[in-house]
Amino acid sequence: MNDVFLPDIARLADLCDETPDTRTFRLRFRDLGKGKDFHFLPGQFIELSVFGYGEAPFCIASSPTRPEALEMTVRRTGQLTDALHKLGEGDEVGVRGPFGNGFNVEAARGKDLLFVAGGIGLPPLRSLIWNVLDERSRFGQVTVLYGARTPADLVYKRELEEWAKRSDVEFHVTVDSAQPGWTGSVGVVPSLFKKVALHPETSLAYVCGPPIMIKIAVQDLVGLGFKEENIISTLERMMQCGIGKCNHCAIGHHYVCRDGPVFNCGQIKELVD
Amino acid sequence: MLAVPTACPFCSCGCGFHLLVGEGQLFGVAASQTHPVSGGQLCARGWSGHEAALWGDRLREPRLRRNGKQESVSWDEALAHVALRLKELVAAGKPVGVLGSSRATNEENYLAGKFARAGLATNNVGFSYYPICAPLLAGMEEVCGTPQPTLRLSEIASSQVILLVEGNLAETHPRAAGSVLKAVENGAHLITIGCRETQMARVASLQVQTTPGSEGEVMTELSDMIADLGRRAPSATVEKAAGIQSLETGDRTEALRQAAEWIVRAERAAFLIPPTCGQEDRQRNAAAAIVALAANSGHLDKPGSGILPLLARCNAKGACDMAVVHDRLPGYDRLDDAQSRQRLEDLWGKKLPSARGWDAETLLKSVSGLVIVADDPPSVMPKGQQATTALEKIEFLVVLDAFATPTARMAQALLPIASFAETEGTFTNAEARVQRLRPATTPPGEARPGWQVLADFCARFDAAATYRSASDVLREIGRAVPQYAGIQEQLSGDGWGGALLQCSRGRNPQTQVRATRTTDAESLTSTERPYLLVRDSGFDWGNDPFVSFSPTLSRDYRSQRRTFPHGFVEMAQDDADAIGLRGGRQVKLISVHGQAVVPIQVRRDLQRGLLFVPYAFRDHVSGVLGPDSIAAVRVESA
Amino acid sequence: MAFAIEKNAVSGWLERLLQLGEVIAPTRTPSGDVLFSNIRSAAEVTWDLPNPLHPPKEFVLPQTDPIVQIKRNGKQHEVEAIHDGRRRFLVNTRSCDVKGIAFLTRMHEMEPADASYLRRSNNLTLISVACTTPCPLGFCICTDSGPFLSSSYDAQLTDLGQSYLVEVGSAKGEATVAEGQGLFRKATETEVSQRRELEEKARQSFGDQTCHFASAMRRISTGRVQDPLWQKMSDWCLECGGCNVVCPTCYCFSVKDLGRDGSWIRCRLRDSCQYAAFTLEASGHNPRAQRKYRMKRRFFHKVSAQYYSRDGAVGCVGCGRCVQVCLGATHMPAVVSAIRKGNWHE
Repeated sequence: MNDVFLPDIARLADLCDETPDTRTFRLRFRDLGKGKDFHFLPGQFIELSVFGYGEAPFCIASSPTRPEALEMTVRRTGQLTDALHKLGEGDEVGVRGPFGNGFNVEAARGKDLLFVAGGIGLPPLRSLIWNVLDERSRFGQVTVLYGARTPADLVYKRELEEWAKRSDVEFHVTVDSAQPGWTGSVGVVPSLFKKVALHPETSLAYVCGPPIMIKIAVQDLVGLGFKEENIISTLERMMQCGIGKCNHCAIGHHYVCRDGPVFNCGQIKELVD
Repeated sequence: MLAVPTACPFCSCGCGFHLLVGEGQLFGVAASQTHPVSGGQLCARGWSGHEAALWGDRLREPRLRRNGKQESVSWDEALAHVALRLKELVAAGKPVGVLGSSRATNEENYLAGKFARAGLATNNVGFSYYPICAPLLAGMEEVCGTPQPTLRLSEIASSQVILLVEGNLAETHPRAAGSVLKAVENGAHLITIGCRETQMARVASLQVQTTPGSEGEVMTELSDMIADLGRRAPSATVEKAAGIQSLETGDRTEALRQAAEWIVRAERAAFLIPPTCGQEDRQRNAAAAIVALAANSGHLDKPGSGILPLLARCNAKGACDMAVVHDRLPGYDRLDDAQSRQRLEDLWGKKLPSARGWDAETLLKSVSGLVIVADDPPSVMPKGQQATTALEKIEFLVVLDAFATPTARMAQALLPIASFAETEGTFTNAEARVQRLRPATTPPGEARPGWQVLADFCARFDAAATYRSASDVLREIGRAVPQYAGIQEQLSGDGWGGALLQCSRGRNPQTQVRATRTTDAESLTSTERPYLLVRDSGFDWGNDPFVSFSPTLSRDYRSQRRTFPHGFVEMAQDDADAIGLRGGRQVKLISVHGQAVVPIQVRRDLQRGLLFVPYAFRDHVSGVLGPDSIAAVRVESA
Repeated sequence: MAFAIEKNAVSGWLERLLQLGEVIAPTRTPSGDVLFSNIRSAAEVTWDLPNPLHPPKEFVLPQTDPIVQIKRNGKQHEVEAIHDGRRRFLVNTRSCDVKGIAFLTRMHEMEPADASYLRRSNNLTLISVACTTPCPLGFCICTDSGPFLSSSYDAQLTDLGQSYLVEVGSAKGEATVAEGQGLFRKATETEVSQRRELEEKARQSFGDQTCHFASAMRRISTGRVQDPLWQKMSDWCLECGGCNVVCPTCYCFSVKDLGRDGSWIRCRLRDSCQYAAFTLEASGHNPRAQRKYRMKRRFFHKVSAQYYSRDGAVGCVGCGRCVQVCLGATHMPAVVSAIRKGNWHE
């Protein structure tokens, strides 16, 4: 038996504003040994403690291939995230985890990978994208389609530029409404499908973003010949413990924190509350 | 583990429970099967009754504002300063006042009133919730001479007919709603009258949908029909009418006739009345009409039947009885009642001021010095923003509270008092049951029982007696308030019991009363302004410290305020569809008083033509509502 | 191996247990309620009290459960798990509550095992008294949690008149009996038979007090309970969450930090799946915004085959507390009955 609620202490090592209300926090465990022992899969999450407020689940936005740069990208939505955003470099937070099932990276080897993300849905996929790019030769074609409401809402702006420049990645970005100076596409993320050649039989698609975007994207992908079990997404639920005991994230007898948060669309259909 | 029996600090049902304490700290609640009101059950608020006191932002030491900051001082310094400043103001002829509270104890309210009248020599006394409930009480008084209840909570479950004007009983008084459900389960006919299809309405035999303010009309119609029935034999069959009654006169008349039969035939009928929405005179008329209906149908005073006004907060009734009211004396007697004046002057050894005080809302805007006991007027009063503005302008504001409310943060002198979990004291519930609080733990920091602090004020203003305990204060209440005679002895045992007050004093029921016909709210509308914007008559629980400081209870409200920082109004689905609006869209509301831009939420339980603003968001549309709680508006896409 | 102890020797045994740890038993409060509380002397234990409305899960899962201490020193923090390894004896509890605690223990033993809970439950000895008369609202016979148990207890007592038969169910139970050296003797054949007869009699006397779990379980597990029925039933629920407070198998919780003098205590707080905010996400989205879905959730968790096969037991011990505590009309027997009949109040 373990003290399952006891967090490890980590320090904020770097802070990067992605948008006016979203910031990426890089963490470094205070105990370096713990840092070395922290192995995770892309798609997993941690329970982050802001001492004095409590904990909240955040997906790990960095790749396990870069363990020195453990990162979460967090939007300000409530008391705890407000408090987190008030912290600075060197301030301490608590970390429990990693939790969840993560993406099945093995199953993606050799496959063509399509990443479809909207707004704040990019962080969970970014973990897998960099994992793939850091082991590029082990995967087939890599296509990243990303969009947000406005250019200001795009996260990881510098990395998007990097991906756009890479010859081994096909990258397209779009916004719902443009701003002066925007030279990219305008339209919802699924509207980018027509710009790329897709190979449903050899591909896995990963879709993350606002519910309505996911709905349309999945519909379109199925229409383009993707099988439901090859379209992978993440589910969000209110969570407290992260270990399947508090019951907040239960859907039927499944727990998003343990059986998920990564599910394929076939599984999601079967999840009945 | 210690289990301390005490009264619930939330609504006026007055349930009881055990506060569980371990190592000097609150950790939970256990219901009591022997409690005469709650009998082993509690609502969500009651089950989290221990949370605010434990988790809340508690006031711990006295503070005085110096150089813009509230600085920590000793009790001696704080009390001396408060007395000095108030005396200065009085000497300079500047007006001062005292606000009690619907969540303060009877002892606190009584001493607040005594301090004002015998200490400061003013009738500038009030409490924030009074403007909401005063019309209801006035209407009751008009018809039967007194606003006292004639129904006990326990009688609801065994009623055969229940007339409920709401509100949303399941939200405001869950214990009463539970009893209504029990009665309906046992075959009772529930008649609901209100603007919305609430949970109670869905289990009703008859749901009468009205426009706000026209409840009085329905009562009068029913009264007429009852009088009619008295003149002929009742029909042979009494059918159960299901569903919502449309406003077509034919169907409604038939349905009301049926309701009238149910009421007349019933041995036991309950009339449940919360404060309704609408202009003051309409509210008063509605209350008068309901009481008249009860009287006309023979149920006002019949054992097992009666009327029960459902004020929101745990001690609103007590606040009225202790008369923290500008034109009343303890007992809720009129200010000029010679017998009452004499009784109090003898007891207090002081001449009572005779000039009426300002009502609570005017009080805030008019005084230079104000003492507020356990309340946050902007979250309770109808014109919340105005209350904040008024408080900010007060030269010397003294606040006594257990919690750091927005009002507390404005104080020049802030005095920390014990919460319900840490003090002796009493509450009086809606059915006039007086119950004891028992302290489960000690107040945090240097906080003191509120009655002690107020007794100290009285002493410094030559208006005190010797109070060694809250019981001493209660004993004096027994001498000051006729209905509370002997109360301290009645409550001195170990059990729950509480003491049910005899409420017939002053009762003078006038039967055959007809409510005056007033303008129906509907007539406010026109083709130019076809919608009615209605301010919900409810209570803003989300801003009450017992909810806002409870981790479990505050979640919904926090999320709502975060998602809608500018509030919202509720619109009927059919209306939204007709205009082509979706939930979340902004609309501009324009009335004769002004306009406001606000998002809409679409609801299926609303009648067409009505726009509801939750009480919590009333300030966002105050310009549109104007002086009233209803306004005719035009709706434009924004 | 069954033992027996004369009734007049029991207080001697309890006095010995009081030397070893906390002894908790139902006691009557001044208000006339019966609550599980710590006793200070054997004389405080009354054996014929009704089962307290508040279950003894309080002693393994307190309503406010401190789990981590967080101390702050400037910018630095030190965290420490809060340990409660006190030895406790729960005396005069009943079969339903024994099963309740066994259920909770199974939940918290599931990977990853929760040390905070298990420290308490490992050090808690359950000394139950089998029910020879069914309680008015109980239906433990339907949930295989009474009136007598064949497992899960540490020591099960049966009232034989002048003595108690004592069945030992675990090493903890054995140790507890061993503490009462000299007070226990081996049970006679007659006594063992008597116990069997009493169980048979108790089982027979349940009569109509049944709760048709099997049929409800089938319908709930296969999604055959129609939405309109949940809607109708949900109008009779007042969302008090009382069911979750008093249910021996409910354990949903939230976690929050309580500030105390510059440091914090992270606490587990009891929560209720019946509250709207239980599934409310930071974004404002709520997958169970409607009460009917929350009700559906509760009964799925308690009564579905899916959970039954995961947990090895149905999530109800038939104690009848929800029947008492429900502020509305939607307690377990009422809902199970409505599901079986396919209608509500008709």
